[in-house]
Amino acid sequence: MIDDSKPIFLQIAEMIENDIVDGVLAEEDQVPSTNEFAAFHRINPATAAKGVNRLVDDGILYKKRGIGMFVATGARAVLVGRRREDFYEQFVQPLAREARKLGIDGGQLAAMLARETAAAGENALQNPDMAAMAATLKEGAS
Amino acid sequence: MITPIVQVDKLTRHYRDVRALDGVSLTLEPDKIYGLLGRNGAGKTTLMSILTAQGFASSGDVRVFGEHPWENEKVLSRICFIRESQKYPDDFKPIHAFKAAALFFRNWDQDMAMQLAEDFQLPMKRRIKKLSRGQLSAVGVIIGLASRAELTFFDEPYLGLDAVARQLFYDRLLADYAEFPRTIVLSSHLIDEVANMLEHVIIIDKGKILLDEDAEAIRGTAFTLAGTRARVEGFAAGRTVLHREGIGSLVSLTLEGALSPGERREAQELGLEVVPVSLQQFVIRKTLDAGADLSGDADGAGAAAETSTRMGATR
Amino acid sequence: MQLINKWTFLGLPAVILVSSFGLTLAIWSMIPDTGTGPMYSGAGQAVMWYFFALGLQAMSLTFPFSQGLSVSRRNFFLGTVGLFAVVAAGVAVLYVVLGYLETATDGWGLGGQMFALAWIAERPWLVQVFFYFVLMMFLFLLGFWFATVYKRWAATGAVVMSLSLSVLLIGAGALITLKDWWPAVGAWMVSLTPLSLGAVVLVLVLLLGSGAYLTLRRATP
Repeated sequence: MIDDSKPIFLQIAEMIENDIVDGVLAEEDQVPSTNEFAAFHRINPATAAKGVNRLVDDGILYKKRGIGMFVATGARAVLVGRRREDFYEQFVQPLAREARKLGIDGGQLAAMLARETAAAGENALQNPDMAAMAATLKEGAS
Repeated sequence: MITPIVQVDKLTRHYRDVRALDGVSLTLEPDKIYGLLGRNGAGKTTLMSILTAQGFASSGDVRVFGEHPWENEKVLSRICFIRESQKYPDDFKPIHAFKAAALFFRNWDQDMAMQLAEDFQLPMKRRIKKLSRGQLSAVGVIIGLASRAELTFFDEPYLGLDAVARQLFYDRLLADYAEFPRTIVLSSHLIDEVANMLEHVIIIDKGKILLDEDAEAIRGTAFTLAGTRARVEGFAAGRTVLHREGIGSLVSLTLEGALSPGERREAQELGLEVVPVSLQQFVIRKTLDAGADLSGDADGAGAAAETSTRMGATR
Repeated sequence: MQLINKWTFLGLPAVILVSSFGLTLAIWSMIPDTGTGPMYSGAGQAVMWYFFALGLQAMSLTFPFSQGLSVSRRNFFLGTVGLFAVVAAGVAVLYVVLGYLETATDGWGLGGQMFALAWIAERPWLVQVFFYFVLMMFLFLLGFWFATVYKRWAATGAVVMSLSLSVLLIGAGALITLKDWWPAVGAWMVSLTPLSLGAVVLVLVLLLGSGAYLTLRRATP
């Protein structure tokens, strides 16, 4: 779960972010305490605190004095928005690169993506965001 | 600026013509967990002995809690140093050792000691002389934890402890530290096991400080690049090589520094594999002479296997 | 500082006392065994030699432990020597009492002389106590210092110390022989009373004590 590719506090922050994006942690939910994070991941409490505080500074979490940390209202939207910005670089470009290597052209790739999104459920297809993404994908592959 | 609780200035210790410590200067700040890492004979134990006034310096200055620790009860009463092979009076039983510890450590928590003894399945009424190696280590670990000394040193405390008992030690250490923050110096060979608990890392080699750095700052300061020789060497040009190994046309280089997202992409486009370097490997690479070692150990492959990214791990 | 000291005086001795009590008891139980012999018995000395062993053990094992517990060398020394002074005093009184008892019961009904050696038993009780006390402290400190030297300078130190001690004794013997002082020395020995011998040993005890402490100050566990 924790690896050595980057500082642990960043990894802790990312885990919390992921849980918020996935809906595991809903807005206004209480986040586990620093010491709980430390005990669970077997990491230094100061490091865990650094990760949590980063999200506090970011406005993703907020502190209730004497009680603990909570997910801020609107946090999910902020995170999703931020991730979309990175989506092209982090996912689309590598995908297109690998496709090129294997001789998969833009049309084929788009078809594959369409198949995948269809399999992932009708809701996803109807989602306008997804359509926008598919368009971006095509661009990247060409 | 936080007042350091330990200040060491140009500390040197000779044993006849051997330099166990050679101009060591460092500071320890309160309420952090330090890792004191290095090979056998690097000077770790010597350093800790001098800091606890059990050993003596040939030259240099040591301040603990602002004062020299030697014969200084005010300072000593706030320190606990658990040695790798701590000696106990022959006819002592663990219960006597804990009673004695209770007398001298003002923060001693007897309930915790008893709980730990139970967890470690330590026979309280057997003579220490007759305990197994692991049980003997457990006595030391329990004293070190339950003493709650403001400055606690553990010198390879796990000898003979099995993986379960070691995990128990780490878990208890973290839990108790979270509740009662204090300065802990952990000297260990099992770096991978303790790496994530450390806030600060000090690497010592041949009596000299090789690295004195925040643990988080080290993570991501080195990486291993693997691929075909020409491409790897081309990419690595101008970077500091910590280690290299290779078979045939394949080569794996451990490089200092981090890759920017752009460089990472570039490496991927070249078909190079980028693998993070664990603290343990970092220490190994640092302490072995850079680039000189071509012995084909399998560490690189091990790191690749260890690296797994899991998302959303919060339970 | 005072508190810690108090702990050292009460705590460490108590701990050591508990630990050594078992062994002491074992020695005590040995005494009747060997002591029931009808003639002189060296059993009375056994406890004294045990003090030598205790001195060795206190240093070689208890010292590293006390260091592990962050006890200063000074407190360790004071605590240990203080404790043994108390124990030695107790044992000395016990010896004298046993000596009187022995005389009263005609050598435990067996005519043995274990405690009430005529030379000493004739003296006032205070002198007897003093003599035993000083003798035991001497043996204890001898063992203690020897072990301290060993701790500090390892085997080399111990060998050098034993050698120089032997050389000193042999040298003294040679000197006496050379100068033909034996009659005088003999006369001096005969003239010794427990009190004067005790005084001589006391000087040695003080020497040993300060020697042990100075060695201990720089000893490593």
